[in-house]
Amino acid sequence: MPGAISFKDVGLCFRLYRERVDTLKEAVLGLFRHQKRYDDFWALKHVSLEVKAGESVGLIGHNGSGKSTLLKVAAGVLKPTLGQVRIEGRVSPMIELAAGFDPDLTGRDNIYLNGALMGHSRKVMAAKLDRIVEFSELGDFIDQPVKNYSSGMYARLGFSIAADVDPEILIIDEVLAVGDERFQAKCVERINAIRRSGCTILYVSHAMASVAELCDRVVVLDHGALAFDGPAAPAIARYHELLGFHPSTDVRAG
Amino acid sequence: MDAAGIPLTTLVQSISGLWRFRELVSLLVTRDLKVRYKRSVLGMGWTLLNPLLQMIVYTLVFSFIMKVGVPAFPVFILSGLLPWTLISVSIAGSAHCLLNNQGLIRKVAVPQLVWPIAIVASKLVDLVLSLVPFAAIAIAFGRGPRLAWLAVVPAMVCATVFSAGLALLFSSLTVFYRDMRHLVDILVQVWFYLTPVIYPVSFLDKLPYGWLRWPLRLNPATPIVLMFQEVLYEGRFPDPAEIGSAGAAALCVLVIGLGVFLRRQDQHILHF
Repeated sequence: MPGAISFKDVGLCFRLYRERVDTLKEAVLGLFRHQKRYDDFWALKHVSLEVKAGESVGLIGHNGSGKSTLLKVAAGVLKPTLGQVRIEGRVSPMIELAAGFDPDLTGRDNIYLNGALMGHSRKVMAAKLDRIVEFSELGDFIDQPVKNYSSGMYARLGFSIAADVDPEILIIDEVLAVGDERFQAKCVERINAIRRSGCTILYVSHAMASVAELCDRVVVLDHGALAFDGPAAPAIARYHELLGFHPSTDVRAG
Repeated sequence: MDAAGIPLTTLVQSISGLWRFRELVSLLVTRDLKVRYKRSVLGMGWTLLNPLLQMIVYTLVFSFIMKVGVPAFPVFILSGLLPWTLISVSIAGSAHCLLNNQGLIRKVAVPQLVWPIAIVASKLVDLVLSLVPFAAIAIAFGRGPRLAWLAVVPAMVCATVFSAGLALLFSSLTVFYRDMRHLVDILVQVWFYLTPVIYPVSFLDKLPYGWLRWPLRLNPATPIVLMFQEVLYEGRFPDPAEIGSAGAAALCVLVIGLGVFLRRQDQHILHF
């Protein structure tokens, strides 16, 4: 079923080198030195997660808890070291909105480039072009090289493209913190519309209010392991408990 | 392919991924050409001029100073330089392509094959464009248009497949060993002199050291370059054995390059 995500006992290990062996010279010298020169760091440990099509799932956890790593595995950028991952459907990753921009190309050309990076043809993108430009509110700036854009304009264009590629799975990593308040509100509205259309959403944020608003189900990660999986309110409580931190002005969870 | 230790599914997935992202490849190629041609005074001229300048230098050296004794030497040298340039610039250009695009590879799930393949495709466009000045020079030396020139198409296919294999191999290796680049520069230079580009292949058989002939005959670049010389310089259709050995060399190199690349591509991101 398009939109489903399945993680089975997923582990992901980064090898952290104390001194990097990234030259041939060092690799050859290393043959004569038999000592371990790296530490294994497990960014994800035994993570099992089933997300059904159309569900919107929030991911929360402390800095370095593995949220972004999990999203990158879901987006197909990282391959798990252990376990199995099954992703069904077209993924639109809003991981870093302006990642695919070429500063020398105009906004318009970057729309095509970003479309191509997600595997969409020029024809498909041409049909969406006007809608994307309109949503981004960039006006005549769309024909300027993006190196002349402000960071807010960058983010607007990035969001407008990512939101308009008819994803079956939308991956959102902390991207709503950009743009002015009005544009943020517009983004939330768009995400809600995408959600209502039956798209699966994985949402990472440190803004608990927006997690509670957008997600029926929230997963708490703690040092790479799953600490809680369930409704938003108890999840946020568990997250605060793990942090050892109790905000006095908690909006709706608590 | 399975012999290279790659599961068939990985192979099929990667190739179909490359096909799905073909528009990205063509976009990267046009961008590369645009950038290269826009920012230089002579624009496209550089691509055409480069082999011509090399031709003039080699002609001066090898037909006036050290007499190699090949008739119409400029046509001979140019017909060998065309495929050699594709091979060498593909290696040099692709060596750093994964590192240069690491920002994207970390964030977007694009099949990584796209990057080295786009480099080779862009260099192939240069080769096709260089055929125009080549034809002008060949005609000027009285080796004018022949029907056999049509066989340059299969020759270009072989050279492209060959270059793609090397591009895949070196783009992946450079991620793990950053100093690969220096090694590659030297390797390409030595390889150039071992390949019959500036001298006819018959010189190799006349070598006084018999033990040297064998390893030199195994040079996989030789049949590729020879095919271009047969078609463009000698003006004849290559015989099936010649096509066969060029094709076999190209396929072998592709299997090795693709094998290394596919087997290690998931590790790349951990080594950036």
